[in-house]
Amino acid sequence: MGRKKKKQLKPWCWYCNRDFDDEKILIQHQKAKHFKCHICHKKLYTGPGLAIHCMQVHKETIDAVPNAIPGRTDIELEIYGMEGIPEKDMDERRRLLEQKTQESQKKKQQDDSDEYDDDDSAASTSFQPQPVQPQQGYIPPMAQPGLPPVPGAPGMPPGIPPLMPGVPPLMPGMPPGMPPPVPRPGIPPMTQAQAVSAPGILNRPPAPTVTVPAPQPPVTKPLFPSAGQAQAAVQGPVGTDFKPLNSTPATTTEPPKPTFPAYTQSTASTTSTTNSTAAKPAASITSKPATLTTTSATSKLIHPDEDISLEERRAQLPKYQRNLPRPGQAPIGNPPVGPIGGMMPPQPGIPQQQGMRPPMPPHGQYGGHHQGMPGYLPGAMPPYGQGPPMVPPYQGGPPRPPMGMRPPVMSQGGRY
Amino acid sequence: MSLFGTTSGFGTSGTSMFGSTTTDNHNPMKDIEVTSSPDDSIGCLSFSPPTLPGNFLIAGSWANDVRCWEVQDSGQTIPKAQQMHTGPVLDVCWSDDGSKVFTASCDKTAKMWDLSSNQAIQIAQHDAPVKTIHWIKAPNYSCVMTGSWDKTLKFWDTRSSNPMMVLQLPERCYCADVIYPMAVVATAERGLIVYQLENQPSEFRRIESPLKHQHRCVAIFKDKQNKPTGFALGSIEGRVAIHYINPPNPAKDNFTFKCHRSNGTNTSAPQDIYAVNGIAFHPVHGTLATVGSDGRFSFWDKDARTKLKTSEQLDQPISACCFNHNGNIFAYASSYDWSKGHEFYNPQKKNYIFLRNAAEELKPRNKK
Repeated sequence: MGRKKKKQLKPWCWYCNRDFDDEKILIQHQKAKHFKCHICHKKLYTGPGLAIHCMQVHKETIDAVPNAIPGRTDIELEIYGMEGIPEKDMDERRRLLEQKTQESQKKKQQDDSDEYDDDDSAASTSFQPQPVQPQQGYIPPMAQPGLPPVPGAPGMPPGIPPLMPGVPPLMPGMPPGMPPPVPRPGIPPMTQAQAVSAPGILNRPPAPTVTVPAPQPPVTKPLFPSAGQAQAAVQGPVGTDFKPLNSTPATTTEPPKPTFPAYTQSTASTTSTTNSTAAKPAASITSKPATLTTTSATSKLIHPDEDISLEERRAQLPKYQRNLPRPGQAPIGNPPVGPIGGMMPPQPGIPQQQGMRPPMPPHGQYGGHHQGMPGYLPGAMPPYGQGPPMVPPYQGGPPRPPMGMRPPVMSQGGRY
Repeated sequence: MSLFGTTSGFGTSGTSMFGSTTTDNHNPMKDIEVTSSPDDSIGCLSFSPPTLPGNFLIAGSWANDVRCWEVQDSGQTIPKAQQMHTGPVLDVCWSDDGSKVFTASCDKTAKMWDLSSNQAIQIAQHDAPVKTIHWIKAPNYSCVMTGSWDKTLKFWDTRSSNPMMVLQLPERCYCADVIYPMAVVATAERGLIVYQLENQPSEFRRIESPLKHQHRCVAIFKDKQNKPTGFALGSIEGRVAIHYINPPNPAKDNFTFKCHRSNGTNTSAPQDIYAVNGIAFHPVHGTLATVGSDGRFSFWDKDARTKLKTSEQLDQPISACCFNHNGNIFAYASSYDWSKGHEFYNPQKKNYIFLRNAAEELKPRNKK
């Protein structure tokens, strides 16, 4: 050691931020943990190598490097040992190490290195605090927030970061058989202690050790506990505005406020974990409302480019915009309102509807109510109701005429 | 092949004969074809609830109509009735007693169709097309929930023209599902909200989407005690996320899987990724079916995390699917879903609804 090369002092793995004494060991680690095929366990040499192997041999695509921390899952980066690590990540690593050495120097100045001062306890120097941080985002999903984050830390042999999103990387593509047998068959929490030392197994084990409590949800756990309490207040039938019809005692219910900070948190960060490790698809999406990126080198999204739903796109067509004229009503058939309205030029070419349609983009008339809709009287025959009940009406002419343009389609429509 | 596993022969009159040439790939699975199918793309399918004897299928289409068939045990399908909207019908659902059908349309209204009188009246109004409609039956109230592209979720007592409640959505409603006391709504811009329906509907939690692409379909699943416990969410990027509401170990229990993609070949031909158009859970086995723009359907076991079956490829996308109340019948609709834009739309092409015996193929895989 003690090389003052541009690389770090000690070899470290770009995918998971672990330190190694030797580059050879680092490479062995990478081959075993990051470049190992989850289907046949063949060890490859690089990330792209693994991707190509999976594609050619198993016809599977993988989008992320297994056992990599989020942000470091790029399968297309060719990293071998310490080679290929992007410069900025190198710098970041150097900075982190410097910080760490500063802190450990500070700590050495204390009287007793075993004692933690108040100031230093935050530093938590049992192992690199800084590199842990990128992983800290994942702690909540692994352990309930109530549990101390990285609880395995003191007990764990240094150098095994406890947080590996181990399971998600197996997800990319449900293999037509079963998911790899290694982690799935419910690694019983008991075996964690031994599993930790076995290098071949994914580093999930440490986390479940902590979350041993309550492996099964209790049967009677309500789905929405706060609602359960609120419900007790109103039991009788409820009127049209959800106020009870009976004269129940004065305790009117307030809308139950869900108070599950724990769950909310874990869910939010869970989904962020799942997001990043659930294989960012090869077709990257720009989250702008306007367009998607539908084509990339390895895949093509069979979908129009705009990021609106297929139905919205289709409904913009003039063909689907025609509406019946109805007496006493302003026509409802305006272009879709709101965000879609922006995409539609004001319908220059709709021949059928010129007589009918004063342009009324704001739809002021329909503030969500029906005003004087004739159809509201129960039992009245609404203008578009079908008269003859239960007669196979498909042959009937009467329903057809409103569908002005349709006859050509209708007449083909399968006489049976 | 009858629908219900009895020994009656195939070739009952439920199958339409025209259009079946030898090279035609419109029904590669040789499933039962529903007679007098709609004339434009089918957007939604729904089977009658167990309260009705027999099986009745409702389909809403882009021809503005809603059709009802009786499906007999032999597999024969008998058209029963039809109603019209003034715009394409985007969603349909049944009341719990099987007496009414609710329909939601691009004409910004929703209607209630009383099957015995064959009358339909308007029960809801929005400022934009109504994309989803669901019947909610709670111990102390019943109502219809409509989700619209006007970014609102409205709850309607069918007797009043004013909604009982209006909830704002972050974006346009794209899909929703209800199993009391839970409702899930997925919106544009990957919004995802869970509602609890006890006492009165209220927003329970906004969830950060487990998917990175536009949401397309959602279906709630239940646990062993028959209570809703999570949902499956499908996107346009050939992927489904299984998400539990309160799992013991979220990172482990929630997951996503890829589906409806063309096989990656040895060469560097890009993989085609198709939208997931519908998800439905088998009411008995708890396994799920997905249908996609690629013209295939697949059955999955989410607990064993395995695929049970994938169909052959139909010559059109599969736009909708559903199970009947006891899980014996799986219905899926073959019609164009606009996934390749306007250019690939052929109004002359026939739209089909197929029925398949689902009792055996959706049995869960035995866990190891």
